[in-house]
Amino acid sequence: MDLFLHLCIMSLIYIIFALSLNLEVGYTGLFNFGHVAFFGIGAYTSALLTLHHFPFEISLLMALFLSGVSGFLLSLPSLRLRGDFFGIATLGFGEIIRMAFQNEVWLTKGPMGLPGIPKPKLLSIRFATLPQYLLLTLGFATLTFLILRGIIRSPFGRVLKGIREDEIAAEALGKNVYRFRIKSFVVGSIFAGLAGVLWGHYTTFISPNDFTIIETVLVLLIVVLGGKGTEWGPILGAILLIFFQESLRFLRLPPEYSRYLAPLQQMIFGSLLILMMRFRPEGLIKERREHGCLS
Amino acid sequence: MRKIIYPLIFILFAFSFSYSYAQETYKIGAAFALSGSIAVYGEGFKKAVDLAVEEINASGGIKGRKIEIIYEDNKSTPKDCVTAVRKLITVDRVPVIFGPAASSNFMAAAPVAQENKVVMISAEGAAPGLTKAGEYIFRVFPSDVLQGKGISDLCLQLNYKEVPVMYVNNDWGMGLKNVFVENFKKAGGHVMDEIPYDEGKTDYRTELIRAIKGNPKAVVNLTYIKEGAVMFKQAYEMNIKVQWICGSAAKSPKLVELAGKAVEGIIGTYPVFSQETKEYKAFRAAWKKKYGDEKIPIFAEYNYDMVYLTAKAIEKGGYTSEGIRKALFEVAKGYRGVTGDKTFDQDRGVGSEYGVWTIKDGQIVDYKKK
Amino acid sequence: MSSFLLQTILNGILAGCIYSLFAMGLTLIYGVLNFVNFAHGELIMWGAYFLYFLMQRPLNLPLPFALLPALFLTVLLGLGSDRLIFKPLRKANRLTLLITSLGLSFLLRNGAQLFWGAEIRTYGLEIKKGMKFLGMSITSNQVAIMVVSILCIFLLYLFFYKSRMGKSMRAISDDLELARVMGIPSDRTIQWTWVIASSLAGLGGVLLALDTNLHPGMGLINLVKAFAATLLGGVGNLWGALFGGMVIGLAENISIWILSPGYKDAIAFGIMVVMLLSRSSAVFSSKE
Repeated sequence: MDLFLHLCIMSLIYIIFALSLNLEVGYTGLFNFGHVAFFGIGAYTSALLTLHHFPFEISLLMALFLSGVSGFLLSLPSLRLRGDFFGIATLGFGEIIRMAFQNEVWLTKGPMGLPGIPKPKLLSIRFATLPQYLLLTLGFATLTFLILRGIIRSPFGRVLKGIREDEIAAEALGKNVYRFRIKSFVVGSIFAGLAGVLWGHYTTFISPNDFTIIETVLVLLIVVLGGKGTEWGPILGAILLIFFQESLRFLRLPPEYSRYLAPLQQMIFGSLLILMMRFRPEGLIKERREHGCLS
Repeated sequence: MRKIIYPLIFILFAFSFSYSYAQETYKIGAAFALSGSIAVYGEGFKKAVDLAVEEINASGGIKGRKIEIIYEDNKSTPKDCVTAVRKLITVDRVPVIFGPAASSNFMAAAPVAQENKVVMISAEGAAPGLTKAGEYIFRVFPSDVLQGKGISDLCLQLNYKEVPVMYVNNDWGMGLKNVFVENFKKAGGHVMDEIPYDEGKTDYRTELIRAIKGNPKAVVNLTYIKEGAVMFKQAYEMNIKVQWICGSAAKSPKLVELAGKAVEGIIGTYPVFSQETKEYKAFRAAWKKKYGDEKIPIFAEYNYDMVYLTAKAIEKGGYTSEGIRKALFEVAKGYRGVTGDKTFDQDRGVGSEYGVWTIKDGQIVDYKKK
Repeated sequence: MSSFLLQTILNGILAGCIYSLFAMGLTLIYGVLNFVNFAHGELIMWGAYFLYFLMQRPLNLPLPFALLPALFLTVLLGLGSDRLIFKPLRKANRLTLLITSLGLSFLLRNGAQLFWGAEIRTYGLEIKKGMKFLGMSITSNQVAIMVVSILCIFLLYLFFYKSRMGKSMRAISDDLELARVMGIPSDRTIQWTWVIASSLAGLGGVLLALDTNLHPGMGLINLVKAFAATLLGGVGNLWGALFGGMVIGLAENISIWILSPGYKDAIAFGIMVVMLLSRSSAVFSSKE
């Protein structure tokens, strides 16, 4: 039962993470390959502050704030790049952030990681046990879902989609494409930070190894598999992938073969990405295209 | 609807049946790195554990019941360590787990075991604060607090008062470096430079050049097998002639295989135990019989001892985590394993002496001062 | 002290040669096919592993005989991935192709790990002490790296400036606008592009592995540097890639003297960020 709760919590954290990426990838057409950086900034900020006995509410807000600010600072130069080079620039940013976690030992304890991150206490309720933590993540995930849906359905969201479809037309209609993209990127970064906060306080131990490019690929796969640019796609993708990964544990393979299992699983992920792009680039859930959305 | 329900009930029955059937053995969890970046080590650990289990079961198990190890792959990442340990606790309901190897992975999973009151033991973790998570966390491997001092003593013994230190930039390397630097400075030594380097790179030439700036006679290099092989090869190619001083993680035949004559003459410390005891000789003979060679992988002996200690603790304290936790102290007190005395201290760790290894004619041998 | 500096520069040039070989292949694919091939790093890695495969039992080929077949296999892998994966997506947008190549990179890297495991391997050649030269040490392998790199660049020069195929490829690659007007290049051009890019990758991989070791992650690490080199030199520009690779190789090695070596890998990205901020490269979208 606990394992099931654990997987639910993991899925919910990845749902938040994937929803935030979906705003960028799905609705704005920004292929961010360094999304894990904001996940990491969120996790580290909140972990460090609570370890220094700041209350969780303040740590959380600071974490979201810092994720947003770093998202803003990164977006200023990188959003001037064309799509694929934007991807590479963000990839580089993700790696630099990971290296900073690893090397700025005075702050992050470097590769030793941060053990003993306290369980969160929000509005004087402590979320320590698994069911309690599940409630907390469920609450935040619902909140994330509602806020992001609100944004997407608002006129602002429609402009984002318009830019994704036809940048030139959007510009011709007097929209400042650059600014809209920055806003979308900042919002995405903030929610990625939120996912990071929840992850750090859940495992109670974080180290730079948690924030590698593999995480980015996983969350990208979640969005693309589930259906980018849809409200429910990332949720479906996260649940499918997290449970699929762990279901392999129940295959009860002889341990000699599990050496082959992990690369095989990654190979399946790789093939899935290729096949999805080839045969169903829109993902499991298909986006309904609205016409004339640049009202 | 019924069409679905009946098979479901049947499946549930089948599951619960197989579950109760599995209760016939004493199950022990093992969250090992069977894939991922440190899978090379994981395979060796598994062999050692299997050997011990086979021996115990062949001689009648624990009070007639056999031991069964449930291996879970931890994929060498902290995230999957947590999941693997959770799975072992909740699905397999084991009261005791052999923990992940790398210290950072172990420390990610330890709070989970502690929270669920399940005993977790490390046979390789060297980080000083490894068992801090709580009273259910043990280790049968000595802390690097001791090894750091060992390296410092070795440098001074050999009259190297000024050395730069290079270390692999991860939890193990940095932890050991900190203890070494602290001890070395206290003893009057001078650390010329500190050079961290990343794991898994192919080119360390300029790092090496920086290390030998100021012409030190010796360089302390706290490296793994992989990185060590690359570095010593490149140092050899660049005609760098210094005395290399390593830690325990590089002591492996694999290093010689990868770097050949470039590693000739390097020395290093390692937690030492006599290879002349009857326990060690029996272990080596058993290894040869089962696996057909004497290439005993690094830290295999500790894993072997861990299994025996756990089996004894189950026998004495019963098959509950509380029983095992209490019994571990008692059975380990004065226990002479393959790796020597396994008495736990108050931090649930063990002590050790440190010896010095060197590579001579392609063989790892004990270092004798000329 | 000056010999330290010279050796550092030499190390930088060596690293730069290898980055350049990678970056030139990457930029060529980008120039002709108009997408960033994430799987280029895996071509590098497979090139090295193909040679390893041929030199081990049961084939036991000596290095000089194994080299060409290994390159041939790498080229086949490149052409195969184009035929099976990228060809059906010729009209897809760049981001679809980018994700596809990311998937391919994952597939190929873990494929290598499946066959050969995650551990590090070596060709098992004898280790030689380097020759002394102006206070620097240089091994015959390293001389080979430089000679082969220069040779490759010379051959590429001949190909791109003397042959018709090369000229048209260069025209497409250098001028992205022109490429867009001309539409999708002919199959033959595309095939030649893959042949050249894969051979450069395979050769670079073999040289890298000869100088160091083999590892399933060796391609990815160096690909990131190649990206940065490409950005630095101007996308699609072959000579720019050469220049970018050299700059990054040198900067990385010199940085070790100034920064904590833990940041060595960040240098390439740092340069990239500076490039983005300085707006001097051809990568900006302006009004695209």
